[in-house]
Amino acid sequence: MAQINLDAVTKVFGDTRVVDDLSLNVADGEFMVLVGPSGCGKTTALRMLAGLEDVTSGTISIGGQVVNNVLPKDRDVAMVFQNYALYPHMSVEKNIGFALKVRGDSKNEVKRKVADAAAILHLSEYLDRRPKALSGGQRQRVAMGRAIVRNPRAFLMDEPLSNLDAKLRVEMRLEIARIQRLLGVATVYVTHDQVEAMTMGDRVAVLRDGKLQQVDTPQRLYDHPDNEFVASFMGSPPMNLVRCQVRAGAQRVEIVVGAQTVELPWRYASSHDLPQSGGGVVVGVRPEDVTVADGSAPNTLRVRVERREALGAEILVHLSNLEADGVLAAREESALRLVAKMGPREQIAVGDEVSVRISPEHAHFFDATSGRTLRRE
Amino acid sequence: MTSLANRPTPPRSDGDGPVPGPLPPRLTRSLVGRWALFVVMVLVAVVMLYPFWVMIATSLKSEAQFLSGGGFSWLSWRNLSATLPLGQEVLSSTIVCSVSIAVILLVGLPAGFAFSKLRFRTSTTVFLIIVSAMMVPLQAILMPEFVNVTRLGLTGGYAGAIVVYASLGTPFSVFLFATYFRSVPDELIEAGIVDGLGYVGVLRRLVVPIAVPAIATVTVLQFIQIWDDLLVGLLFIQNTSERPITVGLAVLAAGRTTSIPELMAGSLVSALPAMVVYLGFQRYLVKGLTMGIDR
Ligand SMILES: Nc1ncnc2c1ncn2[C@@H]1O[C@H](COP(=O)(O)OP(=O)(O)O)[C@@H](O)[C@H]1O
Ligand SMILES: [Mg+2]
Repeated sequence: MAQINLDAVTKVFGDTRVVDDLSLNVADGEFMVLVGPSGCGKTTALRMLAGLEDVTSGTISIGGQVVNNVLPKDRDVAMVFQNYALYPHMSVEKNIGFALKVRGDSKNEVKRKVADAAAILHLSEYLDRRPKALSGGQRQRVAMGRAIVRNPRAFLMDEPLSNLDAKLRVEMRLEIARIQRLLGVATVYVTHDQVEAMTMGDRVAVLRDGKLQQVDTPQRLYDHPDNEFVASFMGSPPMNLVRCQVRAGAQRVEIVVGAQTVELPWRYASSHDLPQSGGGVVVGVRPEDVTVADGSAPNTLRVRVERREALGAEILVHLSNLEADGVLAAREESALRLVAKMGPREQIAVGDEVSVRISPEHAHFFDATSGRTLRRE
Repeated sequence: MTSLANRPTPPRSDGDGPVPGPLPPRLTRSLVGRWALFVVMVLVAVVMLYPFWVMIATSLKSEAQFLSGGGFSWLSWRNLSATLPLGQEVLSSTIVCSVSIAVILLVGLPAGFAFSKLRFRTSTTVFLIIVSAMMVPLQAILMPEFVNVTRLGLTGGYAGAIVVYASLGTPFSVFLFATYFRSVPDELIEAGIVDGLGYVGVLRRLVVPIAVPAIATVTVLQFIQIWDDLLVGLLFIQNTSERPITVGLAVLAAGRTTSIPELMAGSLVSALPAMVVYLGFQRYLVKGLTMGIDR
């Protein structure tokens, strides 16, 4: 067991920087999720940790020891591959015990450890089977077994659930988190699925184009995204990002949407670096922070319902803003598209014109050009 | 049939629908299809096995019985073992075959692995050159080869033939192993590396076991080719005491008084090992030729 430190790690393939100046510390026993869209360099980062890929520059250390030039077999880390990579010619028992056999544990020891791992993973009945004769979920468990049996210094997992169906994925999500906590081994878990990131990680590192965007606990990432990318990547449906004018002054903060104005609490002017007068910003609002309001209430937006998706437990409502006189906002720059997440009993139909309220406590402000948060640290 | 007949009849309304026949039409058709297939397969089997039957039947007759058409005798087998040192010739063929195949596998497997899994400069070019060597027919290079092998002084015994067979078979073997290993995911090898294996360990404990179907395929195809080959044995193995079975048979056939039953007996001895090897490896062979498909 050990901590993992990446310091300014960069990987260049040809002339693309696939991983760019990545610095990340994973505490001993911590479950760190590396999340980002496909192709952002997650797998490459993990492979560098495992020693399957050279580091172009920067240092990687495991347990305080720099491992840049340490062979994979001497790093004492276990990796779970996306397609499991089970040895097809070996039984489940041999698959799980292989690393122990290679490092020279005694026969009895291997047998005992494999039995223990199999028990944790509910694989005891399948020890004699070949991988071919297992279901997807069972193969996944064998891949996990191969990692945990070694009691390594770190677990590295590359999208281990991506080949499972939705139901099994939810099950194994809990299972992997449970086992990791049970064993207390530092883990780097790679996924493109923000739900997995939110539900499994102690902390989550968001990666985009090889660059680290933000590292934090799932809740803080969700509540305080550092930039537009993190804001829209974490959460489903994504945060509404609205390009609009903001007026801060005279004890009030107002945002101007087309012909309508909404007033937000004055405290945003002190907690955020809002542009002095009439500057453009991007305002972010989570779908759950948009609610239907009484039309006569202050600070509401008149909108029309464009689309309604009933998901059972909730309804996603797509809204467009109306100009003051009731016509749909026509000009591109004043047109507003909002997605609202509403309760399943909300009486709302396509074509309705309603007033919505933006929860004043949960607005986010981003710089219109850089996309960075305007929040003061 | 009985189980079908004993099925409880479903309750029937007394309407004017068609009276159901003894078998549902789909089942009838598939049964007819299976019988037709069976008949065709029997015919194919007869066509394939008839020559063997002729060989066996003819070899069990004396020359006179063969000409007159009836009778049974071990005479031609006895004559055969008297004229030809059968045991020695089969042994020669076996030695030449197994050593050549061993070389072909020992070179082909690691080379195929390297070409498919290791990245190095000129890998594609070198691979193409090796593979294009497969297209060169034996006859085209036989004479230069003969000159070379003679200069090396290897035309006496097994060595020359082994060198020629091994160099003729290796390109195919490299090609087949490379193709095979391309269908093996890189992650499998990497899993082994993370599990603590070095290159030699990877080769010995993962690559070779995974390559069993490819090894079987190369072995069978090369065995059949080398065992049945006459030309190389005839040219390169000049010691009479080391000549393989095909050469022995050729000598027999070229004799002034050729006994057909004796020739048939000899042909059986020569054909049998290839068949045994084929049948023995068949299970893997099919897998090897369809590899990548069942993935
Ligand atoms: N061996 C390689 N050679 C060249 N480019 C590569 C190699 N491996 C990955 N890449 C590129 O690096 C980028 C990141 O890949 P990867 O780390 O697999 O992304 P992710 O796992 O986040 O989907 C991709 O654009 C991919 O094409
Ligand atoms: Mg990946």
